[in-house]
This record gives sequence, C-alpha cells and structure tokens, in this order.
Amino acid sequence: MRTPGKTAVILCTCSGIISEKLDWAQVQLALASHWTQPLFRIDELACGADNLTALGQWLQAEQPDRVVVAACSPREHEKTFRGLMQDAGLNPWFMQLVNVREQAAWVTDTPAHTAQKVVRLLSAALERVWLQEPLEERRMPVRTEVAIIGAGPAGMQAALTLARAGRKVTLIEREPFIGGLPVRFEELFPNLECGPCLLEPVMADLLHGTESEHMKLLTLASVTEVKGSFGNWILTVKQRPRFVTDACIGCMMCALPCPAKRPNGWNVAGELSAVDVAFMGSLPNLPFVDERTCLKLQGEPCDACLSECPVPGAFDFDDAGRELIIEAGAIILATGAVELEGLPVPFSGLENVVPAYAFERLLSMNGPTGGELLKHDGSKPQSLAIVQCAGSLDGEVAYCSGTCCKAALKYAHIAAVKEEGLTVTRLVRDMVVPGVEAAQLLRQDHAQVVRYGGMKDLGVEVNPNGRWITLPGETRVPADLIVLCRPIVPSQGTTAASLLFELDTNGAGFIAPLHTLSGSCTSPLKGVYLAGACRGPGDIREAFATGTAAAGFALSDLVEGRDLVVDPQVAVVDPEACSGCRTCVPVCPYQAISWKPEEKVAEVADFLCRGCGTCVAACPSGAITGQGFSRDMLRAELGGALS
Amino acid sequence: MVAFLCNWCSYAGADKAGMNQLPVPHEVTVIRVMCSGRVEPTLVLEAFQKGADGVMVLACHPGDCHYKEGNLRAFCRAELLQRLVPQLGIDSARFKFDYVSAAEAEKFSQVTLEFVTSIRALGSPATSLVDPHGN
Repeated sequence: MRTPGKTAVILCTCSGIISEKLDWAQVQLALASHWTQPLFRIDELACGADNLTALGQWLQAEQPDRVVVAACSPREHEKTFRGLMQDAGLNPWFMQLVNVREQAAWVTDTPAHTAQKVVRLLSAALERVWLQEPLEERRMPVRTEVAIIGAGPAGMQAALTLARAGRKVTLIEREPFIGGLPVRFEELFPNLECGPCLLEPVMADLLHGTESEHMKLLTLASVTEVKGSFGNWILTVKQRPRFVTDACIGCMMCALPCPAKRPNGWNVAGELSAVDVAFMGSLPNLPFVDERTCLKLQGEPCDACLSECPVPGAFDFDDAGRELIIEAGAIILATGAVELEGLPVPFSGLENVVPAYAFERLLSMNGPTGGELLKHDGSKPQSLAIVQCAGSLDGEVAYCSGTCCKAALKYAHIAAVKEEGLTVTRLVRDMVVPGVEAAQLLRQDHAQVVRYGGMKDLGVEVNPNGRWITLPGETRVPADLIVLCRPIVPSQGTTAASLLFELDTNGAGFIAPLHTLSGSCTSPLKGVYLAGACRGPGDIREAFATGTAAAGFALSDLVEGRDLVVDPQVAVVDPEACSGCRTCVPVCPYQAISWKPEEKVAEVADFLCRGCGTCVAACPSGAITGQGFSRDMLRAELGGALS
Repeated sequence: MVAFLCNWCSYAGADKAGMNQLPVPHEVTVIRVMCSGRVEPTLVLEAFQKGADGVMVLACHPGDCHYKEGNLRAFCRAELLQRLVPQLGIDSARFKFDYVSAAEAEKFSQVTLEFVTSIRALGSPATSLVDPHGN
C-alpha cells in the first residue's frame, strides 16, 4: 500500500507553444480524481530564471513529497528541474519530467487526442514518481598520480604534460632505452627534420629537466598485474636487471674489451657486446648487460669490463631485478606499434632486401653502416627500389598504415642525396600523402614511379647484369637494394596491455577506444587512456598530439582535492537475491561488475557503472536494481500509461 | 500502444520528429529508458498483460549504442520475444523491434504510423488470439 502524500504537478505552457495545442484545463479535469490528488500549477515558462525562482518558492511553501513537471524533453531540462528540487530543499530524485511538447503537442493530430495522450503520460509519471527512491550522490577520494606504459613520443609527451601540471608520473618502459621507434630515425617526414634534434630535448626534459622530479622512469620494466580501478589502480611492475648501477658515468669503456658478442636487433645488423648500449646516443646513457651473452653471468670467469671501468660500484652482477607496486589514479597506454614481421614472397630469403625501419638504420649515422648506403657485401648499390604497400591492402593486412608513403618519399629523397646517380624507383599500389606539409615532399620527388596491382604481380629476377623486380608486361625495375614498406601492426606491448586490461581490440589488434571519433584517446575502461600507435597506425605528430590528449583526460578526470562524484543512477546487486550465476559479469561493457569469490555474489562498482541497465535486464534472478529505472518504476509507468 | 525508447537514439529521434512537427499517432505512449538493453522481456509481456494492443522497442543502430552493445542484447531478446509472444496467444505482429537513430525523425514518424495502422487492422488482442504457431 503506497503511502499517500502531496504530489505537485507543474504544467508548462512553454510561452503558449504547448497550450495552443493542448487544453491544460481539460487535462486537470481528467486527472482531478487520480489517487495522488495532484496539486496543479500552470507556468508560462517553467525553465525561465524568474519562473524557476517563483516555482522554487512555491515548492518550498508547499513541501510536496513528489513533483511531476509536464514540459519539454528531459534531454533538455531534466537537470534544470532537478536543480529546482534541490534549491527548494527537496530530493532531486523525487521529480519526473514528462515530455508533452516534442512528443505530444508537436506531433499529435488533434487537440482532443493530444489531451488524451498527455493524460496517459501524466498518469504514467504519477505512478512512477511515487516509486522513485531518494538517491544520494556518493563522493569518492581518488589518487592523482598517473602510470604511463611506454616511453615513446606519445608516452613521453603525456608524462611531460602531466609533470608540468605538478602530477606525479611513473613511466614504465620495456626496452633499456626511451624514445620508442623514432629515436632510431635520423630524419623525419614531412620536412626531413633531424630526428635527434626533435627528440633529444624531449628526452632530456624527461630525464633531467625541471619537472623530472615529478617523473619516475623505469626501464627494462613491464606491468605483470593490474588491480583496482579508476582513481585507485595498483600495478605490479617487474623490472629486469640491468646489472649496471646509477654510479655509471656512461663512458662505455666496458663495451670495447668485452669478448662476448650478440647480434644487434635494434640496429638490424652488426653486433653488440654483452655489455653495451643499443645504439650510440640512446638514453638513458647507461649500458646494460645481456644475461644470456655475458660470460660472467653464465658462470665463466671474466672481468674484462670491470677492469676497464673507471668508477667503483658501477657494476652489480648480483642484480636480480625487482618487483615494484605502483599506485596510480589513471593509466595511460602508450605501447605503440611495430612493422609486421617477415618479408613477403617473392622477397623472403633474399639478400639486400630490408623492411623500412631497418632501412632507417642504414640511413643513420649511428647505424650499422655509419649512414652510408651500402649493400650487405659493403659495396654501393647502383639502384634502389622502394616497394610501397608491401603486404598492405592485401592478404596480409587489409588496411592502409598511413605513414609508409611519406616514409617512402623520404627514403627516395635521402638515398638520392647520399648516392649521386642512384636510380631510385618507387613501386606504388595507392598513394596516401594528405596534408599541406607533405605536398613539398611529393613535389620534390624525383624517383621513377611504377604502379603495381598486388604482391602477386611482383617477381625478382637475378642475372649477371644485376637484379630486377619484374612486373606484368615488360616492366623491370632495377633493384640492387630493395626497401619494403611493411604494414604497421600492434606491438607486443600493445597486445599484452589489451590482455592485461581485458580491452577489446579492433579487427587488427589495436586497442579499441571508447569512441572512434569523439573518444579515440580513452578506452571504455574508465581511468585507462590511450596515446599513440597502440590505437592504430599513426605518425609522430599524432603520437605527440594524442600523448597530450591522454594527459588532458587524466588532468580533467582526476583533479587534486576534488572527490569523484558518483552518479547514483547505477546498477546495484542485492546480495541476498544474487544466485551467483555470473550472467551479469561479462555483460557489462565497462567491466563494472566483478565476482566476489568468498561471498559468491556479483558486485557492481558504482563509479564504473554508466547506468545502461543491460545487467538489470540480463539477471535471471532479478537481483539487480537499476536505480532511477527500476523494474517497479517501469511497471508502474506501464500501468499508468495503459490505464 | 507502448514504445520503449532509449535516451540516446530513438528517444532523441522522437524528439527530433517533434521539432520537425512530423505526425506521430496519439495512441503511442513512450516509456523512456537509458538503453534499449534495459528492456527486459518480462516488461514487454507485462505490457500486453496490462492491456497494450502493441509494444515497440526502438534501439540504436548496431554499432552506435551509447553503451556499446546494449542494443545487441535488445535485439537478441526481441528475437526471443517474437517467438514467445504467440505462446501467450498474442500475434507476434503486435511486438515490433526496430532501429531509430537520433537523426531519424522521419523514420520514427513512419515506423509508429505503420505500426499503429497494422495494429488497428488486427483489432484488439482479445478478439484476435493466435495459437503457439502464430495462426
């Protein structure tokens, strides 16, 4: 039996717009005998500032238990009238706004029908409002520290942006050096500017700038576990041993006498000593020891590095690495992308064929050839063939990676400058070179351009005169040195992050953002933001921009001293009614529902819930209440609508 | 007739129909939910129980759900309801599931007009009972 009380009903004429199609007198007459005995008040423009004040005073005087407002769409003014309730000292959740303008007055054929419809809508609202609960907004304290996974340009830019705002940042990088991919490129498109000149100041700022005290850098580190949620994340980070301490001055005297060697994966050619840096100029300026190569770590006697090292205590061969617990309010994923591994037919297994990022190293002064364009045997090539879209738009990868065309133009230009008389040909399926800056690159390109239909069109012919790439018909492209612009795919770190956070990936394995257009730098998981190429292939400009964007999200979502206000219109599980079937847990798109193994019930994290109600409908026991849209409220609304 | 509309797509589409002064049959009473995924099958059945001649659920187009996949759940439940409703003697034509986006004012007007016309042709549920196979 419902407790009777006072129900106020405010009827807005919307300055006559509603009342010209609807007779409020008729409606009042029809509802006069309703069990709620509504107290009507007609207003000319309920949302107007003066009117709201007057209404507020009226409500304060009348002190109704429930209020129904018949006016425009709740999509427009629900907040306004909740505010009205609050200002009048009434619970804002005891109000229901009924749409009699857009969905009745403006669309119904006759005034008589309009009145009938409005009476039904108001009856529905009157039934519903009496079942509405006095919800409370909950306030939750949150941490403002941010953990960033990946120290490429996106991650570094995010870190600097946050540090400049005074936020504490932990930057977790799996390689022994920072800078991601472009730190290995000597010149950057579209203006062929110097890569180190761009990146070194950024890295210097990060490592020893004024804000570096706010940033903690962990290299050789990766996240192994994540617990908690937005505002209170707990990450377990495993840091592999470097075997070199902070005492090291980076003189690199240790690398020269080291007898153990290993191939240099970062340079794509050449060798590294067991103790070495990935390439000259990599930062932080500290070598690292490779466990599998180092003789001493394998148990054999060797002190070659120790005897050359001028600083006592710079080596620590007992370093076992460490596990750290990082607490943060937000996490930014900046784990990036890589080239697709392997070379496609007909190029696999051939000499003097390199993928684009390997070619970058050949062009760099700190690369395996000192920046000279050389074949594997050390001789100079007479011709260079750059195969664009090598594996893209095809069987291997269906999408365009967007960056390789500009890279190809860059390679054509740089190679022609390095080697006068070099024949350069670009093999092209489709060209993608948008934008004003890139036009220059395109305009200044002097390479031969040959169009091809797909990888199956290409062949390689070798004879005593040299090597050619063959195409259908008579076309042959001289190809002493071949560069393949391979598709860009998610990195190992990006795949690991998607699994760790249980984030959806799009068809290609990149992390799916909250919204492709309006939310590409945030994931559906609140408190986890996305920067750089982990979202999809992109260039350095995008990496910097999205790094700032992700930092922006963290700055606006987590404000120092500001508690998180949790919307009360969320789902709540009744543990008494929950049967433990766990149907609800995977249904939530925001991972807001967790299973409590000890109590054997499901629980909704209210600050992650977005109030969609899918779990409410999914629960076979009806154990979940959708606050604000409960089963009973909707039933009552139906009852009123169909009476 | 009752129409369950989701706040972000179909309800917005209905509002847009209003702003464009397009005709919507007066028999349709709208129940607003935040997501079509909130509409549980029992609510639809209760609507018929309480005397509805027809029930509609209008959701966001696949891929556009504000809450990612609520509309896909709604679609699955709708498929179930189409088969369940005749078991209670109600013609499955009295339950309609469709997609209306926030921009589709015209579609909302059309869909509701078509639905009401077809329901009027069927008469009241009491006088047009079907067997579990829908005959």
